[in-house]
Amino acid sequence: MNDNPNGISEDMQALLKKPGLLGVRVDRQSLIKHFFNGCAGITIITLFLIMWSLLRESTGFLPTYRWELSVYRQAGLEYADFIEKPLSEHLALHSKLNRAFNAELNTISRESKLRRDAAFLIKQQIEEKTVLQREPLQEALDAGNTPPEKITALRKTLTEATAAALGSEPLPKLFNESEKKSLTADLLGLQPDVTDMPPFIKSLMDKFIEQDKAGKEKYAAFISALDAFEEASEPITELHDGMKEQVLEVKKAATQQHMAEDAKFKLLEAARAAKTAEKREGFEKDAAQTDINPIDYKTNIDSLITKLPEYESLIPAYKDAVSKAMEGIPQKADTHEARELIDQVRKSFPKHLAHVDESVDHMKAWQWDKPIPLFRALTAFLFGGDWITNSSWQDFYGVIPLFTGSLLIAITALLIALPFSVAAAIYTNQFASPREQEIIKPFIEFIQAIPSVVLGFIGISVLGDLIKETSNIPWLQWIPGFPVQERLNMFNAGLLLALMAIPTMFSLAEDALQNVPRAFSEASEALGATKLQTVFRVIFPASISGVFAAMLLGLGRIIGETMVVLLVAGNRIAIPDFSDGIGAVFQPAHTLTGIIAQELGEVSRGSAHWQALFMVGILLFFISLLINFLSRKVVKRFQLPKI
Amino acid sequence: MHASAKSTSPDNPFAKRKSHLEFYELLTKSILRGATYLILFVTASIFIHIFIKGAPVIFQSKAPFINTKFLTELPETLHILQDKQGKIYETDPKGSDIIKKELGSNLRQEKTMSYSGGGILGPIVGTVLLVVGCMIVALFLGISSAIYLSEYAKPGRFIEMVRLAILNLSGVPSVVFGLFGLGMFVLTAPVITSVPHERSLLVIPLGFSNLSFQGWDTSVLSGAFTLAFVILPVIITASEECLRAVPQGFRETSLALGATRWQTIWRSVLPFAMPGILTSSILGIARAAGETAPIMFTAALAFKDKLPWQGQSGFNGVFTESVQALPYHIYTLAARIPKNEYSERAQYGSVFVFLVLVMSLAMASVLLRKKLRAKYQW
Repeated sequence: MNDNPNGISEDMQALLKKPGLLGVRVDRQSLIKHFFNGCAGITIITLFLIMWSLLRESTGFLPTYRWELSVYRQAGLEYADFIEKPLSEHLALHSKLNRAFNAELNTISRESKLRRDAAFLIKQQIEEKTVLQREPLQEALDAGNTPPEKITALRKTLTEATAAALGSEPLPKLFNESEKKSLTADLLGLQPDVTDMPPFIKSLMDKFIEQDKAGKEKYAAFISALDAFEEASEPITELHDGMKEQVLEVKKAATQQHMAEDAKFKLLEAARAAKTAEKREGFEKDAAQTDINPIDYKTNIDSLITKLPEYESLIPAYKDAVSKAMEGIPQKADTHEARELIDQVRKSFPKHLAHVDESVDHMKAWQWDKPIPLFRALTAFLFGGDWITNSSWQDFYGVIPLFTGSLLIAITALLIALPFSVAAAIYTNQFASPREQEIIKPFIEFIQAIPSVVLGFIGISVLGDLIKETSNIPWLQWIPGFPVQERLNMFNAGLLLALMAIPTMFSLAEDALQNVPRAFSEASEALGATKLQTVFRVIFPASISGVFAAMLLGLGRIIGETMVVLLVAGNRIAIPDFSDGIGAVFQPAHTLTGIIAQELGEVSRGSAHWQALFMVGILLFFISLLINFLSRKVVKRFQLPKI
Repeated sequence: MHASAKSTSPDNPFAKRKSHLEFYELLTKSILRGATYLILFVTASIFIHIFIKGAPVIFQSKAPFINTKFLTELPETLHILQDKQGKIYETDPKGSDIIKKELGSNLRQEKTMSYSGGGILGPIVGTVLLVVGCMIVALFLGISSAIYLSEYAKPGRFIEMVRLAILNLSGVPSVVFGLFGLGMFVLTAPVITSVPHERSLLVIPLGFSNLSFQGWDTSVLSGAFTLAFVILPVIITASEECLRAVPQGFRETSLALGATRWQTIWRSVLPFAMPGILTSSILGIARAAGETAPIMFTAALAFKDKLPWQGQSGFNGVFTESVQALPYHIYTLAARIPKNEYSERAQYGSVFVFLVLVMSLAMASVLLRKKLRAKYQW
């Protein structure tokens, strides 16, 4: 082009020349195009960068965790834990029996206990209210040289203040009129220098002690059985404690050795990278000085294994003692609660005995030098039932408790949100007048803009107490899980998350209904169907794919939500106890998202704990990809034919 | 609709008698309506509750009617002193010393509540900085990608992948974005520095200095970028939709008149799409302002007694300092300090201000969209 074969004039050539920048010929249009191309590329790169940065911080988790698990095995912690399991079962059984006993005891002494506590409470409240008058009097009395008339005056003001406080504080309904009178007299007589309990309150206390004693006499057999049950495990616990001490020593040594190895490796690295020979020598010298004592696992294990016969010899005695104690437990308890608890214990008792026997088999089969494959570290992470960190015994990173927490909350939220959002979508799309639509749609979309931390705050400050109070209403006691123990629990979080998911699910479901061709409803109505029949037999089934997709995307939103669950779910790391069925949703739990937000700020970079949290992040990432994938599949699978 | 037409028909002696079908229809309709209005009722009661508890903190009955102290002071520890006559003084740490000296032996007790005193200027400033930074980054990247997708891209493998990536990104939990921001911006993003940090991933000498991949630490910059990526998918999707809504004829006319592709986009597509893009982006930005998890590890601090530009680095601190942010402040107030009458004031005050900020953004976008829909109709 630059040669001039066609005889075009110079002017023409200047016109034909492409516009250039600084002498470099650039096609501006393609430059602009490439710029935008790059911007789009960034979104893809982001997806990969997210993966990469998560992977970079979490690589090393599996080897680190494998190393920790292998020390757990080689140092014999695993061996000691075989005994731990039956022991903790024993503890759980005992605490259940204890609860049953207390329930029984309550039948006799509950009333007097309540009365005593109520009197104590009102006494405390009155004392708090009159503290401003009480303290000067106390001071005057302590000083010793205050003139008596001043003390009398102070006493008078105190009595007046007490009377005023009593006026504003209603007395508990537990007491009848004459009792109320004597209680008032008691409270009016309260003076800082009188240390004895006032007579009426004293009589309440005596009454309680008497009834408690009577109850304990009545259930003497139960008590002795309980004590026998508790004592049965003592020799085994002692043996176990000795083993624990021993293996912890070994573990400590192993950790120190590992750190020394690390330090040596780093020094050698530094020596290799050092620029001057002098520095290198220095590093090498330091490295040589870091002494690494190989740990003698074998002798430790040998001495540990010698304890097995001792354990075995303790078992028959234990089983005898426990079985005998179980016989002493009353067959027929008086209260419903105690009956249920004792039934539960009776049911799981044979299993417990079997577990005791099994533990011996496990210990015999155990090999301290069996290597732990890398795969095992992964399964221990994905299917491990314990998430224990900063423990003096052993750290475990198993996500099952977190995962069940997340899942249970999500299911609760979904079960609440789905009917409401679908009903709202059907109503808005099919029945509402245009005017109503104009109000409802923006309003529900507006919910989306409420920040999650605000909802979490509402959960802590209002909803928690509301749920707890509701659960104490007597005629609602048939609902499983009532009365609720903790005000921060999974149900609370589920309710708030349902509110968060409703706008997403509502607008998607509404879109799906909107997209059903008009011909469907017209055909249906032409056949004589009523509006209701048209909606539920024709339009709703036709939009079912959209509703499914809405549900899945709502689920994605619920599982990924952090602040609400962090604030409201109660943050107890444990697999929910399903023994009271559906009432398990009223227990506190921890979640996948919450654990990251809560713990990441407090761990040092690169530690196993840090890496484990990033692994949880990867898990969440894949869950969200899976949900997205499924929702797209669903939409494709149920697509309507085009009309 | 058909149903309403039926019900408004005049009394007709030949009309069909009300059957059980109609009764069911009415029942179902009322149930559906009840569910819908229950949602609205619950939401409204949340708003009203926060308004009733929060408004008295911000507004007062005396001139200037607004509690300026709450909006213009940094958060600090609240000291509650009581003297022996039962009089209660609420004050800041400095005032507490003075009052203590004044009262002498007359002091009965002193209680302290962390974060509950002073105002919330620090968190407000932090949130504004983060949101502005996030807005700049997200709008730039988002609109550019949308222009590429709707104007330049030819259907193909690459575009499929971009769309898939955007779709998947929109579903990723925000806490994972927080982890990503921590790994990416806080710990590895490039900075120009003469003294590279030892954790630096890669150091490229530039002659006068070094380009070190050591990250931006917890700072406004890291937080703003992380937030921007959280809302990027929303912005791209919304912008693309607006661009596609501009009639094809506009482009064809412009091209037929000899304009280049870029001139066409700049002069006859963007001006018509821009209002729509901006309004839908505001909703995304409102969401970013409300997010807490992504800034927890990348930008936010629980407590800081200086504004970002009052630190060592001067004005640059607006980018490089960590800040307090309103959502994180609310989290701290809600989770870490006990609830009583003193902390409640700070809690509801912050929640109220935060909600007003976010809701006015959302409201603005909804109203603007309504207006624009009427204006731009082809």
